[in-house]
Amino acid sequence: MSVELILTVVVLTNLRLLGASRLGACIRTVGVQGLLLGLLPLATSGRLTTLHVVLLAVGSMVLKGFIFPRLLFWALREAHVSREVEPFIGYTGSLLIGGVMLGGAVWLGDRLVIPGANGLSRVVAVAMFSILTGLFLIVARKRAIHQVLGFLVMENGIYIFGLGAISGIPLLVELGLLLDIFVAVFVMGIAVYHINREFDHMETDKLDVLKG
Amino acid sequence: MNSHLVIWVMLIVPVAAACLAVLQKSGRWALRIALAGAGIELFLGLAMAKRVFSSGAATSGAEWLRLDELGAYNLVVMLVVYFLSSVYALFYFDREIAGGKLGVNRARMFAGLWCGALGAMTLVFVSNNLGIMWVGIEATTLLTAPLISVHLTRESLEAMWKYILICSVGVAFAFMGTLLVAAGARSMRIDSEHILFWTELRRNASVLDPAFVKAGFVFLLVGYGTKAGLAPMHNWLPDAHSQAPTPVSAIFSGFMLNAALYCVMRYVPIIESVPGLKGWSSSLLVLVGTVSILVAAVFILAQHDLKRLLAYHSVEHMGIITLGLGLGGIGTFAALFHTLNHSLCKTVAFFTAGRLGQACGTHNMTRLSGSMRLSIVWGGGLFCSILVLIGVAPFAIFMSEFQILKAAADNHAIAVAVLFLVGCGIVFVGALGHAIPLAWGDPGDARLAVSARPAEVAIVFLPLAVLLVLGLWMPAPFKHALLAAADVIRQAGAVSADSLFSMSR
Repeated sequence: MSVELILTVVVLTNLRLLGASRLGACIRTVGVQGLLLGLLPLATSGRLTTLHVVLLAVGSMVLKGFIFPRLLFWALREAHVSREVEPFIGYTGSLLIGGVMLGGAVWLGDRLVIPGANGLSRVVAVAMFSILTGLFLIVARKRAIHQVLGFLVMENGIYIFGLGAISGIPLLVELGLLLDIFVAVFVMGIAVYHINREFDHMETDKLDVLKG
Repeated sequence: MNSHLVIWVMLIVPVAAACLAVLQKSGRWALRIALAGAGIELFLGLAMAKRVFSSGAATSGAEWLRLDELGAYNLVVMLVVYFLSSVYALFYFDREIAGGKLGVNRARMFAGLWCGALGAMTLVFVSNNLGIMWVGIEATTLLTAPLISVHLTRESLEAMWKYILICSVGVAFAFMGTLLVAAGARSMRIDSEHILFWTELRRNASVLDPAFVKAGFVFLLVGYGTKAGLAPMHNWLPDAHSQAPTPVSAIFSGFMLNAALYCVMRYVPIIESVPGLKGWSSSLLVLVGTVSILVAAVFILAQHDLKRLLAYHSVEHMGIITLGLGLGGIGTFAALFHTLNHSLCKTVAFFTAGRLGQACGTHNMTRLSGSMRLSIVWGGGLFCSILVLIGVAPFAIFMSEFQILKAAADNHAIAVAVLFLVGCGIVFVGALGHAIPLAWGDPGDARLAVSARPAEVAIVFLPLAVLLVLGLWMPAPFKHALLAAADVIRQAGAVSADSLFSMSR
């Protein structure tokens, strides 16, 4: 699978996330994105596929494509969340903003040219678009679970950039993969569970006792 | 012991203390072990700092670990705050354990995470690799989040959720910034393993790609700035600081914010040396710093909760440090001086506020009014620390703020100087308006006196005394240490020691 194809599908999944109205669909979309990103190290390394690259690919595929979606569905069931997304900003509005963000990301991508990265010309743009999409989802959606999804999308963006731009530096991509995701799902999962148990709901916009 | 080894020992001690604390059968022993760990760490840190300031940076582990003057200075401030807070925590939680408000499991969890966070912050200061430094901040975020909800309440969980959500986004941004800087450094002709070494980036800053570095610094400033509580990314801070148990608030406010700001400090000299970017990052820092001061000033006026008031003071003081850093010259020196002043003073302020709150069961300032009558130690300590915080002369914070004003004047940044003065003026009036009734107001109903043990009196008044002395007289070794640390950030020799001395007098 070529890098360009993977990146295109990543952009499409981001747009789908912005427009989706069901939480379950969103989780599945993030799972698909995770699977695709697992393929990315294989695609970028070309003929230089080493054991290390294969491990990275398999690891991120299992983690992002299977384990996280399952954990999120589990949290969804445990917390008895209704499956509607309940956005602050409507789906059409979200998609429009998505279009603007995509334009901004491409503009930024044109300014940040990675030397010697032939075939990866859009890597920075796609990475930035994912980061912006994730940030938007965190801000514009009510459900705690949705914010975790937004964080994952943001993570994925950083991961894409890491693979595309600095794949030569050992450890750096892996650092982000392991630790940040640990934050996102493990700790947030516990937090979501607690919040749910204590307040009987998981809508972060009702967390507004502390003001000022 | 040789310095290579000491750095490693400093990373191992907190982890060992954490493991030991978790294994204890009694909550009190867990807390004692945490205190012992912090004490040993402080001793080692002081020994290391002495060596670094006399004979230059110490390295270990093939340069992956490196403690230079800037790191050593921040490390010592952090360890002092940690040690004081550990002493305070021992007494604070002792009362809660006696009152049955804190179970063994919670006490053990607290002690374990407390030591773990100490280790993570130590890692921030001793790592030469900017990726590992990020790992330290990241681990700090993870380890401190559960500390906020040591007492499980609706409010503390809300605060923890906000903290973990906002700061994890911040941490992710900081990571993206680190990656962008790494991408900008690909043209450096060195082994790719060393590409994120601070020493290498500093040495080769002239060949970095300006576009990547610029984008990277924006991400870094937003990311680490979130963790440092700079406005407008500060939303998590008042909640977390007010809901966490007081020893944790003291660490959050007294040093965790500075640790994140330290990471920004590390990048400033690199960015400033990239061709075409001279002055760019500084002006961003000045902007963010000024905004933070003004935002905090407005919110300080409207507070009813004592710990939230102190939390907004943190936003203000982080803004002041950032402003000093951005102004450069004597401003850098003053920013580092201010770091110590703020950390000591804010720690004491939280100690007193927390003890009063613990005894009265509220942090509402109306209900705490007349605190002097409850206890001269806690009420008086609180009043004094608020006075120091708002910059009353001749305490040290007045001196460092004055130096920052001087730096603004040196740069002909008149608008910045005016905004800085306006912000400090609002804070002064606003906080004094809260502090006077808090000290001398009518307590309403007769209440019990709030007790204080001798060690608690010491941890309240010794730091205040130090701040008074530093405001009047700066010992030569301390001044040289500060100058050496400031020279790591700015171009060495930009401002000579003599001119600084004449300015600070």
